[in-house]
Amino acid sequence: MEPRKDLLDIASLNLEEIEFVLKTAGPFKELFRKSIKKVPPLRGKTVLTLFYEPSTRTRSSFEIAAKRVSADVTNFTVGSSSVVKGESVLDTIDTLQAMKCDYIVVRHQAAGVPNMIAKHTKASVVNAGDGFHAHPTQALLDAFTLRETFGDLENKKILIVGDILHSRVARSVGRICEKLGMKIGVLGPGSLIPRHRPAFMRTFSSYDEALDWKPDTIYLLRVQLERQKDQFFPSLNEYHNVYGLTDERFRRIEGEGTWVMHPGPVNRGVELGDAVMNYERTLINQQVENGIAVRMAVLYWLKPQTD
Amino acid sequence: MDAFILRNGQLAQEDSPDLTETDLFIESGKLKAIGPQLPAVDGVPEFDVTGRVLLPGLFDVHVHLREPGREDKETIKTGSEAAINGGVTGIVAMPNCTPAIDSGGMVQSVLDIASRDARIPVYTTGCITKGRLGKELANIGGMHARGAVMITDDGDPVGNHQILRRAMEYAREFGLIVASHCEVKELSGVGAMNEGEVSYRLGIPGIPAESEEICISRDIRLAHLTGAHVHIQHVTSGEGMRIIERFKEDGIHVTCEVSPHHLIFNETHIQDYDTHYKMNPPLRRPEDNAILLDGLKRGIFDVIATDHAPHTDFEKQLDFGSAPFGITGLETALPSLYQEFIKPGHFGWDLLVKRYSAEPRRLLGHDPVVFKEGSPVNLTIFHPDKETHFTTSFMQSKSKNTPFLDQHVQGHVEMVVLDDAILLDRLTANAS
Repeated sequence: MEPRKDLLDIASLNLEEIEFVLKTAGPFKELFRKSIKKVPPLRGKTVLTLFYEPSTRTRSSFEIAAKRVSADVTNFTVGSSSVVKGESVLDTIDTLQAMKCDYIVVRHQAAGVPNMIAKHTKASVVNAGDGFHAHPTQALLDAFTLRETFGDLENKKILIVGDILHSRVARSVGRICEKLGMKIGVLGPGSLIPRHRPAFMRTFSSYDEALDWKPDTIYLLRVQLERQKDQFFPSLNEYHNVYGLTDERFRRIEGEGTWVMHPGPVNRGVELGDAVMNYERTLINQQVENGIAVRMAVLYWLKPQTD
Repeated sequence: MDAFILRNGQLAQEDSPDLTETDLFIESGKLKAIGPQLPAVDGVPEFDVTGRVLLPGLFDVHVHLREPGREDKETIKTGSEAAINGGVTGIVAMPNCTPAIDSGGMVQSVLDIASRDARIPVYTTGCITKGRLGKELANIGGMHARGAVMITDDGDPVGNHQILRRAMEYAREFGLIVASHCEVKELSGVGAMNEGEVSYRLGIPGIPAESEEICISRDIRLAHLTGAHVHIQHVTSGEGMRIIERFKEDGIHVTCEVSPHHLIFNETHIQDYDTHYKMNPPLRRPEDNAILLDGLKRGIFDVIATDHAPHTDFEKQLDFGSAPFGITGLETALPSLYQEFIKPGHFGWDLLVKRYSAEPRRLLGHDPVVFKEGSPVNLTIFHPDKETHFTTSFMQSKSKNTPFLDQHVQGHVEMVVLDDAILLDRLTANAS
């Protein structure tokens, strides 16, 4: 396996690399049951989280992961206003370079910023979400969760529901599931299903039709509330009725043993009804826990060129 | 050097696919003699231009010179020097400066700066609406009186159909061309590249070709309604071109332009978020390259124009979504068109002369450059067997936002002569 400096997206990973991360994450997760959850591989290394878009959960997950592999962690918060005027992203990176960090975990509201940073620095860049483009650690943690749940994923079916057009999660999760041999269906308002989606994404005209396809798991995407303001759908209420996992639909999937996933945080009453949250086949909390193990594996795997 | 003789050049003309071998005897800014094997003249130096193509000076009807307001990107001086470096001897400036060129006084001040700073004729357009805001008509009569050659809100369409109709009716009486940047803003939204598989993959909001095509159709129909001459700028999509073609067949007076970058590049070149491929209207699909090229060969496009759009490094180093639209083109147009189309035989020198020298001048009501005894000299000498290395030091534009930056491109502009001035000379310096 060629050493890799950066994790920018799922599309550029080969199967061997994906399997390596998934395999490595397993033992890391085992640690969580012990009283000392820390291992030494990144001792003396510095991980910097650079978030241009607020996200307490993802940032905390990376922070805990970095600490559990013994790295020093610093959080660097940048107001998004400074992106447009004055200091550019690359100016900031020069500053960080001078601080000699080895890993930069970056989240940015614009697609391609992690790619730009990666070209500009010797540090390893981990994309923690960029615009509508990619969220590779989310996809890896979801793949890990799917593996835990199903074992072999070949021909298992995942139904991704929601805003496929604007979702970096849908792009990355769809791509990794495809690489792992799964069948991928997408469901959402017509205005949020991209015209130029990849061929492996099959579509359905209704929730009923999608459920008739018998997905093994349903992956609910978070609805960004501004989409309603931009008229992609008429109202949140209608979204819930047509594309939400309503209590009525929940009863159907409960009977069929379908699993439910969500990258969080959930909008109760929009993507899903209350009943789903207490469902024994809801994987949402496992996803969060696995996120730490997978991010430890990612930091362990990447090779910065800072030495 | 008031007089000199060029030996064994290959003259390119718009009405002949073949180059004609000829000598040129130039004296005091005039063609003293033209023809093969001219007799030597005592005391007149001679230069061998064997293998070089002799072109009428090129003419670009669509450039952004950024002065006044953004002199950090370009000035009338640096932009006109970039033109000369590319073999272009006349340019038409767009009015989207800061402030916008929307009054007779602003037109006058641009022309005043040009007469002081530029070594080639620089023409200017004026805005259709005040401040390019699409709300009130600009002082069209005043701008015409001061010499504006077209009106356009380039960079933006006039969104309001009624305002555009009024502008066309009003401009028609002055014989002013209404040049249209065709885009339905509501459909483009925050889009930064063509909407398609590549934009989906990169997660960049897309601009559908329909945004441009619908506006092309609207603008030509309004021109038909009003009897105005509409000129469609920078056509990018095959369907957009077909719309123009159909209206032309119906006898409607519409002209249009295509840019070198829309002929050469497409969305697949964007690859790793390279902002040198970000412009508006955006690069479309590879099949659009082929359709546009076919249209150029069939005469659908009246002119080639670069939409030379300088931007600073700082701005172009922003993320793809935030970086400004536009690439420079004046210096790279001729070599890149030669390398991509003329050398492989897609079209001949006659097409290039017609579409990037003769027709652009006719569009403005000027006579094209002719090579005959007694005519003023307007000459670009191009060496097809020499490469140009587009380094930052080679390029005269203040901005270097071009995909050709640091690339080698086949062909080299060696000399530019306009009237009695040798504007560029990389020929005789090397010869002596």
